[in-house]
Amino acid sequence: MGNWERLVWNQRHLLLDGLVVTVEICLIAFAAAILGGLVLCLVRLYVRPLRQVAIALIEFFRATPIFVQLLWVNYVWPELFGWPGSFFTAGWVALALQSSGYLAETFRAGIEAVPRGQREAGLSAGMSHPLVFRRIVLPQVLLMVAPSLVNQFTVIVKSSTLVSVITVQDLMFQSQKIVNTWLDPIEILTATAAIYILVVFAVSALGKALADLLRRRYGLAAS
Amino acid sequence: MSSIPAISVVDVHKSFGPLAVLKGVSFDVPRGSVVSMIGASGSGKSTLLRCINHLETPSAGEIYIDGEPMHFRVAGDGQRKPRPIAEINRLRRDLGMVFQQFNLWPHMTVLGNVVEAPRRVRGLKRSEAGELALECLRRVHLLDKAGEYPARLSGGQQQRVAIARALAMQPKAMLFDEATSSLDPELTDEVLAVMRDLARDGTTMIVVTHEMRFAREVSDRVLFLHNGLIEEAGAPEEVFGAPKSERCRQFLSKYLPKYVQ
Ligand SMILES: Nc1ncnc2c1ncn2[C@@H]1O[C@H](COP(=O)(O)OP(=O)(O)OP(=O)(O)O)[C@@H](O)[C@H]1O
Ligand SMILES: [Mg+2]
Repeated sequence: MGNWERLVWNQRHLLLDGLVVTVEICLIAFAAAILGGLVLCLVRLYVRPLRQVAIALIEFFRATPIFVQLLWVNYVWPELFGWPGSFFTAGWVALALQSSGYLAETFRAGIEAVPRGQREAGLSAGMSHPLVFRRIVLPQVLLMVAPSLVNQFTVIVKSSTLVSVITVQDLMFQSQKIVNTWLDPIEILTATAAIYILVVFAVSALGKALADLLRRRYGLAAS
Repeated sequence: MSSIPAISVVDVHKSFGPLAVLKGVSFDVPRGSVVSMIGASGSGKSTLLRCINHLETPSAGEIYIDGEPMHFRVAGDGQRKPRPIAEINRLRRDLGMVFQQFNLWPHMTVLGNVVEAPRRVRGLKRSEAGELALECLRRVHLLDKAGEYPARLSGGQQQRVAIARALAMQPKAMLFDEATSSLDPELTDEVLAVMRDLARDGTTMIVVTHEMRFAREVSDRVLFLHNGLIEEAGAPEEVFGAPKSERCRQFLSKYLPKYVQ
């Protein structure tokens, strides 16, 4: 038991700091991925001249391994664009890129699943296309894709362990630091795994509760 | 009352690629009157209604709402120009449309469905729009369902909500595209009853329907569409009682046994 106390409990402040960074970077990446995915999907569907560009970007983001993207954004972007300036930013941008590719496709499926007649009902009442999208299509798409969104968030949490490679001081980074200091990996890595499991589990449970609540509220059949 | 018709359809053509669906249709709908449109599947009834409120753009011809051209406007130099989309949206408010598939918005309550357009399009205040919506729900006898979500209503109730939603824009005319065709027979009557009330209250209506008895009782005028043309038109007693066209007679024989010879 001595090891647990020495390696885990006594290091709890380090671990907690790391957890805060993990949560931060994941939330920012998630928000950016939703926004990016929505933009990519709207451009793909509604902006004819840029359609092929959007498709290429979506495929590129989805097909490149997250590790490669991370290094690419961190080392190549500053050379090309002079941005991002920090490891933390590079971290969430890379995480967001990949997820935005997946979410763009998720959103597209959701938009195409809203029956055309509902849009026509809005138009025939004099609503403009943007108003129809915002008031009729988007809320239903969000309801529909809520489970996929939650799932994508857990993917981000798991992928986020890689940002320690570019020295972002997240939970994984701190845990490795402790391992390297004490050269005793068993307890600390086990504890780290347990924390990640708890976070992912909590996110899933919360997401499921939210989706159930929304479905019940709107009287939509569970799907 | 002025003599300008509420809706005037003038030589409307519509093609989808090589397929000519409407081949020159003209008729007027005087204010406060009910025009029924009957015809076989594929004859172009839906396409015509959709052209009237610009869900489809006619290939040629024009539609006038209260004398105002819907699709084109005449510029200062006398040239016809397509209307910008914002103007079309404005004119579209004047036409309420009821679809075969109801097309309610499932994420909004019944009341939410009915207030939506008055609030967002006409810019009414929440309280004004709410009052108006309740009045419309009362007309379709669904005041007690205001807080429900559409998924919990029967088909007949959903269609009546759709009618209330269209009425809430206080349109100059209502367009019904087979409003009862996807309903079970026992739910058809409650919707037809609401439509009868509207007709009696002087609502201008174009009704595409397969309910011949309803068309006969309620309409001021009946149009029989065949292959994208008006094949026969007249008062209901004429069209149903003594159709001049052989095709119309054949069509009606499927619905009214007395024509079977
Ligand atoms: N968007 C479209 N693109 C191509 N063809 C179309 C389109 N909309 C309608 N059509 C065709 O136009 C013809 C007339 O269709 P329409 O829906 O107007 O008929 P209808 O009289 O309403 O028939 P129903 O009684 O079955 O509703 C059909 O042959 C149909 O396939
Ligand atoms: Mg039709």
